[in-house]
Amino acid sequence: MGSSNTASAGKKLSGTVKGYIILALLVVLSWLVFKIATPSNFGSPSNMLSYLEASLIAAVGAVGFYFVMVMGMFDFSIGANIVLSAIIGCKLATQFGLGYPGLILGCAATGALVGLLNGTFYVTLRIPSMIVTTGLALIYEAVANIISGKETLPTNMMAFGKMPGNLILAVVAFIIAYLILNYTKIGTYTYAIGSNEFVAKNMGINVNKYKVLAFVISGAFLGIMAVLTISYGSSMVAVTGMASMSRNFVPTMGCFFGMAFKKYGIPLQAIIIGEFVINIIFYGFIALGAPTAIQDVITGLALLIIITLTTRVAKGEIVK
Amino acid sequence: MSEVRLQVQNLCKTFGITKAVQNVSFNINKGEVHALIGENGSGKSTLTNMLTGIYSIDSGTFILDGKEIHPRNQVEANKEGVSIIVQELGTLDGLTVAENIFLGHEDMFVKFGIKNTNAMNRRATELLHQYGFDKIKASDPIENYNFEDRKLVEIVKATYFNPKIVVIDETTTALSQEGREELYKHMNRIRAEGNTVIFISHDLPEILDKSDTITILRDGVYIDTIKSADVDEDGLKKLMVGREVSGAYYRADYGEKISDEVVLSVKNVTVPGLIKNVNFDLHKGEILGFGGLSESGMHEIGKAIFGASYDREGSVTLADGTQINDIPTAIKHSIAYTSKDRDNESIVMNQSIGDNIVLPSLDDLANSAHLLSDKKLKEFANKFAVEMSVKMVNTDQFVSDLSGGNKQKVVLARWIGKDSDIVVLDSPTRGIDIKVKQDIYQLMDQMRKNGKSIIMISEELMELIGMCDRILIMKDGELNGELDRSPELNENLLISKMV
Repeated sequence: MGSSNTASAGKKLSGTVKGYIILALLVVLSWLVFKIATPSNFGSPSNMLSYLEASLIAAVGAVGFYFVMVMGMFDFSIGANIVLSAIIGCKLATQFGLGYPGLILGCAATGALVGLLNGTFYVTLRIPSMIVTTGLALIYEAVANIISGKETLPTNMMAFGKMPGNLILAVVAFIIAYLILNYTKIGTYTYAIGSNEFVAKNMGINVNKYKVLAFVISGAFLGIMAVLTISYGSSMVAVTGMASMSRNFVPTMGCFFGMAFKKYGIPLQAIIIGEFVINIIFYGFIALGAPTAIQDVITGLALLIIITLTTRVAKGEIVK
Repeated sequence: MSEVRLQVQNLCKTFGITKAVQNVSFNINKGEVHALIGENGSGKSTLTNMLTGIYSIDSGTFILDGKEIHPRNQVEANKEGVSIIVQELGTLDGLTVAENIFLGHEDMFVKFGIKNTNAMNRRATELLHQYGFDKIKASDPIENYNFEDRKLVEIVKATYFNPKIVVIDETTTALSQEGREELYKHMNRIRAEGNTVIFISHDLPEILDKSDTITILRDGVYIDTIKSADVDEDGLKKLMVGREVSGAYYRADYGEKISDEVVLSVKNVTVPGLIKNVNFDLHKGEILGFGGLSESGMHEIGKAIFGASYDREGSVTLADGTQINDIPTAIKHSIAYTSKDRDNESIVMNQSIGDNIVLPSLDDLANSAHLLSDKKLKEFANKFAVEMSVKMVNTDQFVSDLSGGNKQKVVLARWIGKDSDIVVLDSPTRGIDIKVKQDIYQLMDQMRKNGKSIIMISEELMELIGMCDRILIMKDGELNGELDRSPELNENLLISKMV
């Protein structure tokens, strides 16, 4: 909200501070648990920096996805969007010789287009966003696979896979998301539609237009996430059969942090720090040498605990 | 003073088979507080919702200062000079106070696509100061404030741009005396500036005290427009209700003794913030009515008995000593409940008529292996749908296709099918037409004669008087009087205990 930077809001400020304290505690706690368990190969300052770098990737996608989630909609095509955007962006950058501009604009534009399709199908067909995006995810995966089975970035185009390139791109993306949320009508209408669509409509807000726009914004940010993803891993395989769904998890989890900390007025900040916490836990398990199955069980439980503790549901309120 | 501001001409609006507003025409003048009164469902809110763009108009016109207006939403209505303060909460969570005040009008603070939050907050702060609401901070999230303060924000939102007409729709019932005084102050200011207030309230003394002119609606039809100075409370009531209690419509019997057998005993029931220390007994074969203002707590009584209230204290006990503390126990022990909010709390909208009717009876209909027979379910549903004369193609039809009255019949068919001994009906005839009302009254009378006990909670005083053996009146969450069935019973007696 626009007031998050306003010092005059007494109650709000204390809420904001409280939110930051909880987030800081989560960071310290998750670090401490693994530091005690495995002191030698976890949690040094340089380790922490690399966890932060890794968390930037999903955080960029999550701040965009937040616009969709606040309106009460969902997107199961996050992974498929990243795959398709990365394939097209990489192709434009390499085969078409467009270099970095081709990579960034190609990924962002493809992501935005995917968002436009998601939003348009959703408002036109009038079926739940979860179903629309699941159906479309299959199509996006197939399209990516038809275009190319696998794309690899040449070594001289990996600037966004390491410092400071990745940090700069992520920070620019965060600033843009922050500006849209706090300093444009889009941000206000996003919250208004999420709060009560009927009232928002009565205020003359073109609800469908802003829903589509939310998907476009989300898609564009997922496109930027695709840039970071392919730069970090150097290649992207165009998987099919919904295998891209596994990429949905981390950005979605970060977005849950944003939703939980909305009441403190720091949703985007919570997404960024939340993704960091998720990565600390993830790398903590790797340092412990825990089997993947155990890692998944504990990560899942940690998510449930964090969100339960930070979300207060009123008595009688229906949770779906 | 008598210059016409708004002409309402031949206005009509229907919802399904319900004619909410029928060919209504009257004028509203400049510089007056013009009250709209009528019983629930008389069409007051429907009319003002059309004026403010919340509902579309079926036919007819609004002419504002000589110009026909067709607002499609509240912002368009605002641009025509019409605004509204609604009955329920009209502000949105997730936005600040300032964002709520200027929702839909942000463009005055946007340059090159960027919203100047500071300028918006400054302007909102100025307005809040001007209205004397300095305790409310423009940049705070609206969730920081209670219902009453949020209503004050709505006053600013609805009036800061000096509209020609401000509709105040049953806002005062939700406000404390202090909040009311604040609202009255602004109503007077608007009138003094030569503008118009359309004031909707159920509080007749308030209507007589605060308004200059009163228009009465009944069942969607225009009845009369009179000067407040020319009428008293009794006169208003007569105009509002208009119809006599007839034997054919309600129960005709008087003087029957209620059974001494107590089937349900409610002791010291309290639900924090809603009802306080309520005690009563329900007898076999009795229709026990609950009356009061909408916010008196009477609607919570039904939930409390059915085990659906949160944080309920005290006890609800059946004749055999069973304590009712949750819904499954209530249903198991033959208690039925229909909510006032039919569409959200009683009916499963996206299911068929059949599915809705069999819902609480599935355990009874299952065979010894806990399997359900489709044929048996269909026969069961059909039997009770036909018994209740639900207007339908067959029981596979979706409930969402039915009119309000027929939905209510489906709800009742469900509980008749369950053969419940204690039936709690909250506003059973709300929003439904005269014919279905009569069917429901006859059904209640038959159930009573069959030894069933009924609790009827209603905002319609005439149906309480016409149907109940005893009427308990609620006020501010507490019982405030008991009236026995009698031909002499009239609305004034009830109202005197309600307000």
